[in-house]
Amino acid sequence: MATAVATASRAQRGLPRILRSPRTARILFPFVVLGIWYFIYYTLDSRIFPSPQQVAVFMWEEITLTSGVRYSSVAENLYVQFGITLMRLTIGFFIALIVGTIIGLAMGVSKKVDAFFHDWVMGLLAMPALVYALFLGLALGFTNVGPIIAVVLAGAPFVIINIREGVRNTPKELIDMARSFEVPQNKVTRHVLLPSLMPFFFAAIRYAYAVGWKGLVITEVFASDRGMGWTIKFWYDAHRAHGVIGYALFFIIFALALEKLVFDPLADRAFKWRPKMDAVQMAEGDFGGVQREGFLFIEDQEIEEGADTTVAKGGNF
Amino acid sequence: MAEIKVEGLHKEFGVGEDRVVALENVNLKVNGHVFVSIVGPSGCGKSTLLNILSGIETPSSGKVTITQDNHDAEPGYVFQAARLLPWRTVMDNLLFVQKDRSDETRARCQKYLDMVQLGDKVDKYPGELSGGMQQRVGIARAFSIEPDVLFMDEPFSHLDAITARSLRRELHEMWSHTKKTVLFVTHDVGEAVELSNRILVFAKGGKLEDDLQIDLPFPRDPAEEEVAVAKAQVLRKFEELDLIAS
Repeated sequence: MATAVATASRAQRGLPRILRSPRTARILFPFVVLGIWYFIYYTLDSRIFPSPQQVAVFMWEEITLTSGVRYSSVAENLYVQFGITLMRLTIGFFIALIVGTIIGLAMGVSKKVDAFFHDWVMGLLAMPALVYALFLGLALGFTNVGPIIAVVLAGAPFVIINIREGVRNTPKELIDMARSFEVPQNKVTRHVLLPSLMPFFFAAIRYAYAVGWKGLVITEVFASDRGMGWTIKFWYDAHRAHGVIGYALFFIIFALALEKLVFDPLADRAFKWRPKMDAVQMAEGDFGGVQREGFLFIEDQEIEEGADTTVAKGGNF
Repeated sequence: MAEIKVEGLHKEFGVGEDRVVALENVNLKVNGHVFVSIVGPSGCGKSTLLNILSGIETPSSGKVTITQDNHDAEPGYVFQAARLLPWRTVMDNLLFVQKDRSDETRARCQKYLDMVQLGDKVDKYPGELSGGMQQRVGIARAFSIEPDVLFMDEPFSHLDAITARSLRRELHEMWSHTKKTVLFVTHDVGEAVELSNRILVFAKGGKLEDDLQIDLPFPRDPAEEEVAVAKAQVLRKFEELDLIAS
């Protein structure tokens, strides 16, 4: 094992610093995908599989509204369809967050409430989105309600599980410390309980958003006549792969933008107390003082080379 | 003057076959400007005694009174691990246990941070500090509420020998300066001899077996012969009580 590590280090030392940085790896990924795409395109020589240029031109025309395609008699375009989906996602997401937080808190505090909900939450987690997409289409028809419920059904279980684990992992040692100093309960709630829940809450937000989005698109394919999911289906029915891929890329770009412009700054602000960690500390789940494991804990940390590794390991509470 | 009085203290955990006696009929009295160490093997109830004294746990039976000039005394606590809020800065960790956040309170917190040589680290988060520094913050936090009595539960056991030695010196200076009554749990006999006027020896089963006076002048250097002799005497007492074998 030690030899392998030493060999890797020697190999890394041969590369310029810029090529070894995680940022370079991140930038490199789309180019690798593009290379594979071109390879498949020229190898298959298929009329169905589009070239990257075809998709790029399609996306540009959709963005600039120059494609001439209108998705219904009311002249709906990319922005209208995206707006509809976003509205459904936002409403469903907040409902999932509120309902999930309430149930998760109750499950974390009470074993009886946990027993009451546990199996059904697990069942919902395991249920394919396709099942409730079809059911909602049959039960509610082509309205906004079905897709919104789909977001709630997809997202709420992740919120519930994360919040429940957050409550179960409240740092008892810090609460005992506060009690020994006779700190009032409201102060303990604000300064100990809520901050300790934050990592779980952020994990819940990110997962609820990601899976809610997926559930929504599938539901729009089967149980809606508008929205991004429906638009992808439109291009599928038209046998135009560049439309399907183009809209999928719109999704990816939006998701990445939201991640970088909203979630990352919020997380940086909420977790500015966390020390920069090295890879070993990350693997050990050492979060600078409070050692605990969060279910689906996905708050990532930028690992910088040469970062200060003199940070003390947290106390063994 | 602070006074700690423990009468017939008994504590047990679990029921039936799982019942474990942590403390059995403990009686003791500590008062004034003294540094009392509690030593004994693992599981002899040292930490349980401190937890009961500080109100974290309740006794199964018996009575504990901690007074300062016949009023309820205010205790401070230094834990084995620093137990700092990782999401609050050093200064905010001290302010967390204060009754207010006035300028006067801040100045007091700053004074104790200066005493543990962390006056310039007030805006740092605990994760940015070394283990020794974190424990210093824990000590400053306990002193900052200006408690009448101070409970310390193996505060240096996680630290390396050099850091622990330096912190022991700082602690001794703070104790001399502030005239507090200190109850200090440790499993390190040398540490107890270096710091204490009095050593309470506990045995397995939570019994207080002996109460030793250490009448040596401060500061004590572990390398000095009389300190080493005192340490040897305490260890001999351990052997007599069959504590080392246990």
